[in-house]
Parts: sequence; structure tokens; C-alpha cells
Amino acid sequence: MKKKLLAVLMTGIMAASFAGTATSVYAADDDNTLTVWAWDQNFNIKSMQMAGEQYAKDHDGFAVDVIETSSDDCQTKLTTAANAGDYSTLPDIVLMQDNSFQKYLKSYPDAFTDLKDMDVNWDDFGKLKQSYSMVDDTHYGVPFDNGAVIACYRTDVLEEAGYTLDDLTDITWSKFMEIGKDLHEKTGKYLLTSEATGGDTLMMMMQSCGANFVNEDGEAYIVGNDVAEKCINLYVDLVKNDVVKLVNNWDEYISTITGGEAAGIVNGNWITATLMSTEDQKGLWQITTMPKVDDVESATNYANNGGSSWYITSNCKNVELAEDFLASTFGSSTDFYDAILPASGAISCYLPAGESKVYNEPNEFFGGQPIFSTIVEYSSHIPEFTKTPYHYESRECVNTAVINIVNGASVEDALQEAQDTLAFKMTE
Amino acid sequence: MNSKKKGMTLIAKQRAAGWIFLLPATLMIAIMSFYPMIRAFIISLQTGAGANMRFAEPIFSNYKRIMADKVFQQSIANTFLYLIIQVPIMLVLAILLAQLLNNKDLRFKGFFRTCVFLPCATSLVSYSLIFRSMFATDGLINSILIKLGILSTGYNFLGNSASAKVVIILALIWRWTGYNMVFYLAGLQNIEYSVYEAAKIDGANGWKTFWKITVPLLKPTIIMTFIMSINGTLQLFDESVNLTKGGPANSTITMSHYVYNTCFINVPNFGYASAMSFLIFIMVAVLAFINLKVGDTRD
Repeated sequence: MKKKLLAVLMTGIMAASFAGTATSVYAADDDNTLTVWAWDQNFNIKSMQMAGEQYAKDHDGFAVDVIETSSDDCQTKLTTAANAGDYSTLPDIVLMQDNSFQKYLKSYPDAFTDLKDMDVNWDDFGKLKQSYSMVDDTHYGVPFDNGAVIACYRTDVLEEAGYTLDDLTDITWSKFMEIGKDLHEKTGKYLLTSEATGGDTLMMMMQSCGANFVNEDGEAYIVGNDVAEKCINLYVDLVKNDVVKLVNNWDEYISTITGGEAAGIVNGNWITATLMSTEDQKGLWQITTMPKVDDVESATNYANNGGSSWYITSNCKNVELAEDFLASTFGSSTDFYDAILPASGAISCYLPAGESKVYNEPNEFFGGQPIFSTIVEYSSHIPEFTKTPYHYESRECVNTAVINIVNGASVEDALQEAQDTLAFKMTE
Repeated sequence: MNSKKKGMTLIAKQRAAGWIFLLPATLMIAIMSFYPMIRAFIISLQTGAGANMRFAEPIFSNYKRIMADKVFQQSIANTFLYLIIQVPIMLVLAILLAQLLNNKDLRFKGFFRTCVFLPCATSLVSYSLIFRSMFATDGLINSILIKLGILSTGYNFLGNSASAKVVIILALIWRWTGYNMVFYLAGLQNIEYSVYEAAKIDGANGWKTFWKITVPLLKPTIIMTFIMSINGTLQLFDESVNLTKGGPANSTITMSHYVYNTCFINVPNFGYASAMSFLIFIMVAVLAFINLKVGDTRD
């Protein structure tokens, strides 16, 4: 009897799960609903839902259906669908990491809809931010969250070592190293924390010079690249001199911050969300510009890391609606950006938004600094650089080189190996 | 006469019934396993992405590429290192544990067996993450070592290529020993107790009984666990991805991890990834074949 019951139950569960998969149809049949893939309930998804609500006020029956999909899943699902040549499972709009987009457009050019006809003043977004989602002169994405790099410092630790935030504002890395060494001696803390595998510090250094590990023809350009060699040597020196704490993964990265081992961070400004979750450090952190690379003419104190944009897929049935929706919310509405900032903390890269009152409000966590308008301002200064579909490959190659150099390999050999590996990965 | 009318003898009918019973499973295997294998092989001869896949020129260029790929070669070396060190240790431990837990007079047998088997019930990802946090610079292991006075500051286990490999091997041993032990336990229970009794009467000690009776009688089980372990280790993925991310500097990356990166992290190259997968498949097949041949003592 028991067995029979179990069998019935199992069959029921199976049937239910089959039914479950059968009903999850992606692209909405309804003409007035747009499906969206995005990650982060409180940030991206919240912003998209608010955009949908705002647009629905003037457009009866309009709705967005956001399907929570992690950033990695967005990419894996896209790759799988595109490689099977079946775009029908894609949503109308997809959120994508800026660093990934070039790779997708190269591999699957017909997965996205270009935005040639979209009515947006593109120059309202920073030049660099636009370029992530552009190929030649064609736009493919509507820029969304801001990836401008900021440096955050624990002012209490700086004070302990006899420094102020001003000492670290608009400085060069050599000055940073000087202060970092001194600070480590006096307090035992590190002025910077960075991930060893998959870390972005080196990429940010390069970008702040308007350079990359590829040349304009898209070829691997590490050996013979003066800026690259300078940045790598600088980074290795920082690690060797206990200025940078090299950690193995993101958990350890976070724990150097929460545990108070790190007195500084240089990363995309989205890191502020993580910082603000450490309640006990409230008021101790302040932000400023990142250091710039010494002896490089094009060097600046500004770079970009992370950030994402909205893309319309080729599976979108109603491109006009999707374009109009994105243009009238994310593409032009300061009211909209004012509304989402307090609700989700999403900092826009829509430059006019930075001027509004909401953006200029002091932030208590950061000792009363108006961090939002500061960040938007930073994002207007970031130099442009050559994009490559092989972003992750080059990051992996140079990070491997750094670890090898720190472990005793000669700089020349390590760079040559990085150059060869990257060049190899770029061939088919 | 009757049977002729129907066109089938009783035996033919039975045979037909046999085939019909075989059919669903055969079809499933063909569709689910053989078809993808053939497709993978075809893809391994192609380059390009998505709808633009085309046959490579020359046709085996993806396989040739493997010869020039230093990172993949490193991943092969890493994987074989895990295999050579971890599998023997794990299987010896498993057989010893099985022997201990097979003791007739042992109390709380069920409890101990459950304890040893329990790691296998943990998901690969979660146990990898737990090992990662245990071996972090400020993790449990370091705290214990510092408390005991063995270390003065935390050792960066996962940041050093030799120790990162050791951590992966330790993790694998923890996770899979119990699994293999269960097979040995089942094998041991099939050995008649009277055989041991006879050996005892003849004056054999524990060591001798183990080598002369237990091991030979367990041989089929040992071969099976060997093949399964080799197969499992060559396809190692979760530990490399979640514990070390393949780092530092690719020193712990496994073949499957690299294949995954080639498809989903880097610019997708499914043709090349399939070629590498096929090579892994061939390695597994060859090793399993050798294993079977070596283990087969029939004339």
C-alpha cells in the first residue's frame, strides 16, 4: 500500500515538474509585454521594474516581465542558445556586463538588434561607456549602471599612519607605494587589496592610461608595450612591498575589507554597495580618485571596471516598443534616475542625472561626501581605449604573469609567455 | 502448422519479445549518448561560432591546436597528478576502512558506515566552497595551526601552487573515500566467513589473510572502483572551479575546467572545446581498457 502511494506521489511530482517546464514560455506573446533577463533583485531588477512602471503610466497595458538570471547564467544561456542557432528562447531585453559584450557580438552578431534608429542623445553618456556597446559607429546597447573606478580609503587608518584623504587624492602610484609601505609598517594593514586570479586591478591601471593589452588591430600587445610593462612592474612592486594584499578569491577580498585588514580599495564604484553593508565601518570610509601610472603621458586618475548595459535581442518581436521604452526611461529621463537612486542605489552613467538634487545629497556612510554626483563626474573623465572580445583571456594571461613574477620568474619570460598565450588564444 | 500461419515460432516470438524489451533502453542510449558523441566529434572538426560553424581547414586543425596549447597541456599534467596521487591513496584508505567496518564484532557498525559515507551526500559545489573557506588565510585550518603554535601567521594554502594542489587532493579524498568504501563493503560481504575461518585454522595472520584472501576475492570490485575513479578524476571540474578557480596561475586547473572556460568564459570556441573533450574521452577509454586487461587473469 505504502509503495503504491509512493509511486503515485512520484508520478505526480514528475507530471508537475514536466508541466512546470512546459509553461515557462520566454518571449511574451502579448505585444505589450517585454521580457527581460537581469540579475540582482535590489539593483538591476528593481530599476528595470521601476522603468516599466513609469513607462506604463503613459502606455496602457505595458508591462515588463523580469526573469531573474544571474550574470553568469545570462552569458551561459546566451551562448547555449546562440550556438544552437535557436534564438527563440532569448528574452526581448537582456542585461550584459560591459566587458563581455564585444565577445558576444563577435561570436554571435545576429543575436542582437542594432539601435541605429533609436531616438537617444548618446553623448549624454560618457564616451567610454558608450564604446563598450558599440561596434564601429553603431550602437547596440543602452548604458545603464556606472562602472567608474573609485578609490575608497579608511580615513581612521590613514590618520593613524599620519595621512589624510588629500594625501591620496590625484596622486601617482609611486606616491601610493610610498604611503602604502609606510602605512604597512606603522599599522600592519594594506593600502590595497586585490584578487590574484581574475582580479581587475591591473586592467584598471591599463585603462586609466587609455591603453589595453591589445593593439588597435586587435592583436596581443604585451611584449614591447611600454605602458603594459610599466603597469605590470608597478603592480608586482606593490605586491612585493606589502602595499597590496593579494587574495585568492572574492570571499577573501570581501573579508579583507570587513575584517579591517585593508585600508583601501580601488574598484568599480559598485563596490560601495558591499562597503555599505559593513555597518560598523560607517563614517570611516571616504572616496577619491584612483592613483595614476607614473611616466606615462596618457595616464589619468580615472578608469572603468564593470558596469552593464541593456541590449535588445534579435528575438524581440516588437523592437519599436522596446526601443521607445528604453529611450524614454534609461535613455533620457532624469526623473527616472532620481527615482531609482534612492530605491536601488543604481548610479547612472547618464551624465545629466548627476546634476540633480538627489545625486548631490551627502552620504553618511562616506562621512557626508556626495558620492553619487562625484562618481558621475568621474565617469566623464575616463579615457577611451581599444576594446577587445578577448578581455577575459588577456586578464587571465597578465594575472598569470604577475603571479609567476611574484613567485620568482623573470619579467621578460613571464611577459613573453603571457604574450604567446594571449596570441594563441586569439587564433582559431 | 498453426504457428506457420502466424509466421512466428514460439522461440521467434520470445526473441522478438526480448528485442522489444531491449528497444527502449537501446533507443535511449543511442539518442542520449551515442548521437551526442557523434555530434561532438563532428563539431570537433569545425571552427567558428553559432550558425557560422564550418569545417576546419585542414580538417584536424582543432586537434593540432591541442599540441600547441600550453595551458591545456598544463591542465593535462595537473589532472594526471591528481590521478596518480589521489586515486591510490583513496582506494587503499577505502579498502582499509571497509575491512575495519566489516568486523563482525564491531558495535555501532551502521553509525560508523554512515559517517564514512556521509561526505558523498554533500554536493560537489558546497563541499568545495567549505574547503575553500577552511583553507583560507584566515580560515579554520590556519586558525588551528596558529593556536597550536605551528604557524605564526596564516599560510596562504590556496595562493601557493603546491599547497593548492594538496588541498584539492585532500578534498577529493575526503569526498570520495566513503563512496568507494561502500563498494568494498558490499564485496566483502560476499566473501564467505568460513573462508577466513579456514585460513585462521591454517595459521594465517591478519596481514596474510588480507593479501591472500580479501584482495584476490575483491579483485572485480577493485577494478571497477579503479575505472570509476580514473574516469571521475579525468573529468574533475567542480573542485577546480570552486575551490581554486584553477589558480594560482593555472596551476590547479583541470581539463574539464579548461574546456568549460573555452566555451563559456572566453570567446566561445565550441569546435576546439569538443576536440579537447574528445581527447579526454579517448584517454578515459584507453586507461579503462588497460585497467581491464591488467585485471583480467582469465586465460
